[in-house]
Amino acid sequence: MASTRDIRRRIKSVKNTRQITKAMELVAASKMKKAQAAALAGRPYAELMAKMLGAIADRVEEAQHPFLAKREIRTRGIILITSDKGLCGPLNSNVLKVVTDIKSPAKYAVIGRKGTQFIARTHRDLLADFPANDRTSFADIKVVAEFMVKQFLEGVVDTVEVIWPRFRNTLVQAPTVMTLLPLTSVKDVIADLRSDAGLEATTTAAAKTAQNQMLFEPDAASVLEAILPLYINRELFQHAIDAKASEHSARMVAMKTAKDNATKLLGELTLEYNKARQAGITQEILEIAAAQFAA
Amino acid sequence: MALTLEIVTPEARVFSDTIDTVVIPTTTGEVGILPGHIPLLTQVEHGELRVTKNGVTTMLAVSGGFAQVEGDRVSVLAENAITEEKIDENAVVAALKRAEDELKAAKDIDPQQYENLQNLVRYSGVQLAVKRRRR
Repeated sequence: MASTRDIRRRIKSVKNTRQITKAMELVAASKMKKAQAAALAGRPYAELMAKMLGAIADRVEEAQHPFLAKREIRTRGIILITSDKGLCGPLNSNVLKVVTDIKSPAKYAVIGRKGTQFIARTHRDLLADFPANDRTSFADIKVVAEFMVKQFLEGVVDTVEVIWPRFRNTLVQAPTVMTLLPLTSVKDVIADLRSDAGLEATTTAAAKTAQNQMLFEPDAASVLEAILPLYINRELFQHAIDAKASEHSARMVAMKTAKDNATKLLGELTLEYNKARQAGITQEILEIAAAQFAA
Repeated sequence: MALTLEIVTPEARVFSDTIDTVVIPTTTGEVGILPGHIPLLTQVEHGELRVTKNGVTTMLAVSGGFAQVEGDRVSVLAENAITEEKIDENAVVAALKRAEDELKAAKDIDPQQYENLQNLVRYSGVQLAVKRRRR
């Protein structure tokens, strides 16, 4: 049996760990709430953009926009969203498992240090890496999106896809792959935006008639040309926020488990400590009693 | 009759209120919108957006986006938008200086990055103009 002093030392260290994990859990919980609120704050924007695209879609013949052009896929372009820090359970490894399964040639742009390390370690083709700040700002994500779009237009990559841990609920984050470019049609874009805004996929007839008299400045085609890159930026931004919400909830759950384990361990150690202490006392009494008999 | 103005960015809804008239900076010049305007969809440039309600004019700094007029609803989709009172003059001046220095120092940077920096400089300039107009 371990000595009382050893057990006492262990109890102290487990207590410390429990305190730290408890604090981290609380921090993650409050950050998660913020991240979820941010994800919802993007809704009016999605709704409005869907409305504008809806107005344009009926007026422009399926445009000759490079985003809509079909092309042969030789190299996939993948934006990988991970976290900067660990201690968030299986979140990153689940996402990276999806990357491991990709066998076709692909080039990567990575947000978050964990992903960067993985891509470097497995000798994959890394185009660029970006930090994952705690507060995801649109300006930061815009840089990533525009970088990848540029690679797409220059023909370095033939698709732009995103892999990120999609937030389902606090306990479940599912790694998800989604194609941003090329777009299939403007109609799909609208449907996607509407679902992001929490609306049904199709617009009402009354809204359609109002759109028919819409005046465009300078003209519908150039508005479409300007709005599509904005759509890509917004889409990636939404996924980045989503990944943040996933990260914080995964960390919260991981820290809660750690805290519960520490509490359990502490109970066991305390019991063992008390037993050891009692054994020590009994031993001493026996010795004293034995000494008295001998006298 | 009043207009309903709504300004949203990807990060938040910045402005939402009923107003009398609004002047929006667009790529084809400033557009003033009064109740009863025909449906319109236009491209917004960085600049100051002036809102008048009950004779009081408030200003917002906006950068790149779109505006849609539909019936009595005016919706502005902007990349950035900030109300006059929320502009922190010192922070903007600092950001402007940083961006300008970077522009000067970097000769052969990525054109995309160059453009982003220039946009930042312009947006900062607009914010300052809005903030300082009252004096």
